[in-house]
Amino acid sequence: MSKTPCFHCGDPIPKNLNITSQVEGETAFFCCYGCHAIAEFIRGADLTSYYNHRTKLAENPSNRNTSRTNFELIQDEEIYPLYVFIDDDKNHQIQLSIRGMTCAACAWLIEKKLEQIKGVKSIHINLSSSIATLLWQPEEVTLTQIGQEIEMLGYEAAPYRADELDINQQQARKTSIVRLGIAGVGMMQVMMSAIAIYAGEIQGIDEGLKALLRWSSFIFATPVVFYSAAPFFKSAIRDIKTQYFTMDLPVSLGIGLAYISSVYALFTHSGHVYFDSVTMFAFFLLLGRFLEETARHKSTLDNKHRQELTSVTRINPDGTAQLMPIGKIKVGDLIRVLPGETIPTDGIIIKGESSVDESTLTGEYAPIHKTVGSQLIAFTTNIEQMLDIKVTAIGKQTRAAAIERLTERALSEKPKIALIANKIAHYFVICVLFAASFTYLGWSLTGSNEAYWIMVSVLVVTCPCALSLATPVALTTATNKLKKVGLLVTRGHVIESLAKSKHLVFDKTGTLTYGQFDIVSIDSNEKEKSLAICAALEAESIHPIAQTFHPFISDLKAHDIKNQVGSGVEGCINGSIYKLGNLNFVTDVSTNLFNKKQLIEANESSNGLTLYLASAKEGIIATIQLQDRLRDKVQETIQTLRQHKFTVSLLSGDTETSAKSILQPNDFDHFLTEMTPEEKWSWINTQQDKKHTVMIGDGLNDVPTLAGANTSIAMAASSDLAKTHADAILLNNNINSINDAIKIAIKCKKIIKQNLFWAATYNLIMLPAAVFGFVPPWAAAIGMALSSLMVVLNANRLSY
Amino acid sequence: MESLYLLVPLAGLFVFIGIGLFVWAVRKDQFDDLDREGQRILFEDDDKE
Repeated sequence: MSKTPCFHCGDPIPKNLNITSQVEGETAFFCCYGCHAIAEFIRGADLTSYYNHRTKLAENPSNRNTSRTNFELIQDEEIYPLYVFIDDDKNHQIQLSIRGMTCAACAWLIEKKLEQIKGVKSIHINLSSSIATLLWQPEEVTLTQIGQEIEMLGYEAAPYRADELDINQQQARKTSIVRLGIAGVGMMQVMMSAIAIYAGEIQGIDEGLKALLRWSSFIFATPVVFYSAAPFFKSAIRDIKTQYFTMDLPVSLGIGLAYISSVYALFTHSGHVYFDSVTMFAFFLLLGRFLEETARHKSTLDNKHRQELTSVTRINPDGTAQLMPIGKIKVGDLIRVLPGETIPTDGIIIKGESSVDESTLTGEYAPIHKTVGSQLIAFTTNIEQMLDIKVTAIGKQTRAAAIERLTERALSEKPKIALIANKIAHYFVICVLFAASFTYLGWSLTGSNEAYWIMVSVLVVTCPCALSLATPVALTTATNKLKKVGLLVTRGHVIESLAKSKHLVFDKTGTLTYGQFDIVSIDSNEKEKSLAICAALEAESIHPIAQTFHPFISDLKAHDIKNQVGSGVEGCINGSIYKLGNLNFVTDVSTNLFNKKQLIEANESSNGLTLYLASAKEGIIATIQLQDRLRDKVQETIQTLRQHKFTVSLLSGDTETSAKSILQPNDFDHFLTEMTPEEKWSWINTQQDKKHTVMIGDGLNDVPTLAGANTSIAMAASSDLAKTHADAILLNNNINSINDAIKIAIKCKKIIKQNLFWAATYNLIMLPAAVFGFVPPWAAAIGMALSSLMVVLNANRLSY
Repeated sequence: MESLYLLVPLAGLFVFIGIGLFVWAVRKDQFDDLDREGQRILFEDDDKE
C-alpha cells in the first residue's frame, strides 16, 4: 500500500491496490489498470519523456465518455467528403477533435506516437482548440487504427469539421488578436514619444522636435483608436439606442474626447495631446476582454459533431445488422445496443435483458434492471447484455432533448446580475457630461478664451480610465488566480456573483461523491481470499459493481461464469461453485445452510448495496457492503461553509435512502431527494429570490438548474451539456476549492470596491480643481495615468 | 539632435513593417495556438538525444 498518488493521473490509489511499473528506472504506482495500461503503452513507444515534460497530470481514463464515435462510419459515401480532404498526392487529410489533453506534453505525446505509425504523413495538434490535423495514406493505415492508437494513449478522438459558427468564431478571434497587437505596439510607440514630451514640458524642448513627437504619437494612436478600439464605440452606440448605459459608453467617451481634443491641439498648435493615455487605456481594456473571451471560447469549444457521427446498429427487417449514422434512424426502427454502449434514442426493449446506468438522468448510480417491455431513455448506458430496442423517440422528441429545451428556458429566465461597474457607469456618464457642459458655459460667460481647454481638462480629469479599469483589471487577475485553485471561469459575472453568494446547492452523485461503487465494509473470516474470489468471478465484467473488485484480481481464475442480470454472478473456482450477488440469488446454492434469523438481520442492515459471496460447501462466506464514496474533504468543506454562515443544501435526484446512506441530513440546511430536473430548477428559482445561490452539479439532470442558477459550477467530469451551461468549471473536481474560490471572489470584490473608491475620490477632488481652471492639461494627463496605475497595482495584490 | 528628424520617421516605418508582419502572421494561422508554441522548443531538444 502506498500513499503516493497515481503516477499517471494523480488520483489517490485505493487501499490494497498494488499496480506498479518501472518507468525510467523508478517504480511507479497506479490507481487503476486503465492508467497502468496507458503508461505501459507510452513506455513501449519509448516516449516516457512525456512524464518529464508535462506540467499537468493526465486525466483519469475512467472520466472518459462511454459513447464511442465510430471511425468506420465516416467511410459512408455521403459523409466521407464532408470530413476528408484529398490532396494532389492522394494523401487524405482530416481534422480530429481530441479530448483529454491537459498540457503541451500531451500534444507532443500524441504527435510523436502517431508519427511512428507507417502511413501517417503528418500530424499537427493545436492545443488551444484541441484539434489535430492529420494527413495519412489510407492504403497504409486506416483511420480506425489511428483512432485506436490515440485511445491507447488515454485520449479520445473524433472526426471534426468546422461549422459556420466555428469559422466565425475563429475569424473573430484572429481579429481580436490583431486589435490587441496593434494596440500594444501603438501604446509602446506613443509612450516613448510621451516621455520625451513630458520631459520637455519640464526641461524645455525645441518646438520643432515637440511637433515631431506629437505627430509621431498621433500617427501611432490613430489606428489604435479607429481599429483596436472600434468594438467599444460599436457597443456604446448600441447602449445609446437601448437606453441602458454600460461601461462601454464612458470608455468610448473617454477615448473619443481625449483623441479629438488631442487632434485639435495638434493642428492648432495649442493645448496638450493625450495620445499616450488613449492608447494605454485601450490596450488594457482590450487585454482584459481578450483573456475573458479566450477562457469562454475554450470551454464552449465542444465536439458538436459527435452526435452526427454516433453510430447505431440497425436490425433490418430481414434480420441483418447494419451500422449507420444516428441521423438515419427513424421511429419504429429496431436497433441493437451492445453492453457498454450509450443508448442512442428513447425506446422499448423487444429482446434481451440487462441493467442500465441511468445516473446521467436520475443521479441514481446503481444500475437499474431492465427487461422486455421496459422503457429506455437516450443517453443512458447499457451495462450487461445485448439489447434489441424499438425506437420510440429520436432527436428533439427524446427525454434528453426535453431537458435541453428546459435548459434553454432556464437560461433565458436567469436573473441578470447588475455588475457594479455598469451601475456606476450609468450615473457617472450623466454627471460628467453635466459638469463639462456647465464648466464650458460658465467660463464662456466670463468671456475667457480658455473655456474650451478648461472643459477638456475637466473631461480628461474625470476620464473614467481608472474607474473603468478598476473592475476589469481586478476581474482578470482574480480569474487567473481562480484557475490556479482549480476553477475555470467561463462567464464574466462569476466573480461578482460568487462573492455575493449565500446559499450553496450541491448535487449528490458525481458532485459530492465519485458516482462509483466502493467497498465500505466486508464481513468475512478470510477477507483477502473472499475478495480474490469475487474479483475472479467479476474479472470479465464491465458492470460498475464488478469494477470495484478489479483491483483485487489475483492468480485465482474462475471458469463457467454465468451472469444472471440484476441478481449476481456464478462461477467455478478450483472445483467449487461460488455465487456472488443478492441474497435470494446466493441462497439458492443450498438453502439449508442458512438460518432464517441470519437472513433477516442481513436484510435489515442493508444500507446502500449489500452483496453476498457464498460457496456451495460453506454457505455465505462474505458479506460485502458497497456504497458510493464521498469525494475528499466534502464534510470539512460543508462544515466550514456552514460555519461561515452559508446555507448549504443537497439537491439530489437519487432516492432518500441512498442519499442518507452516505450523507448526514443534519449537515445540510435543506436535504432534498428524488427531485426531477424540473423540480430541481423550480426549487432553485424559489430559493434565489431569497438568497444569492450557487449550484454545483454534474449530470444531465442538473443542466437546467445549472443554466438557471445565479451562479453555477460544473464538475470537470460532467456531461458536456452541463459544462456548456455552467458559469464555471471545477477543473480539479475538488469540492474544497469552492471554499477558496469564494474567498478569492470576496477579496476581489473588496479590491474592486477599493479601486472604485480610489477612482471616485480622485475624480471628486480633481473635478472642482479642473472646473475652476487650476489643473493644466498635462497635469491632468499625468494624474490620470497615475490613478490608473494605482488601480492596476492594487488589483495585482490578488495574485498573491 | 537634427538626426531625430530622420530617425523618428524611420523608426515609425519599421513599426509599420512590424505590424504588417504581425497581421500577416495572424492571417497565416501562426497565432492559432497560444498555449503550445511557447513550449515547443523544449520538446524538440529531446529528439536529438
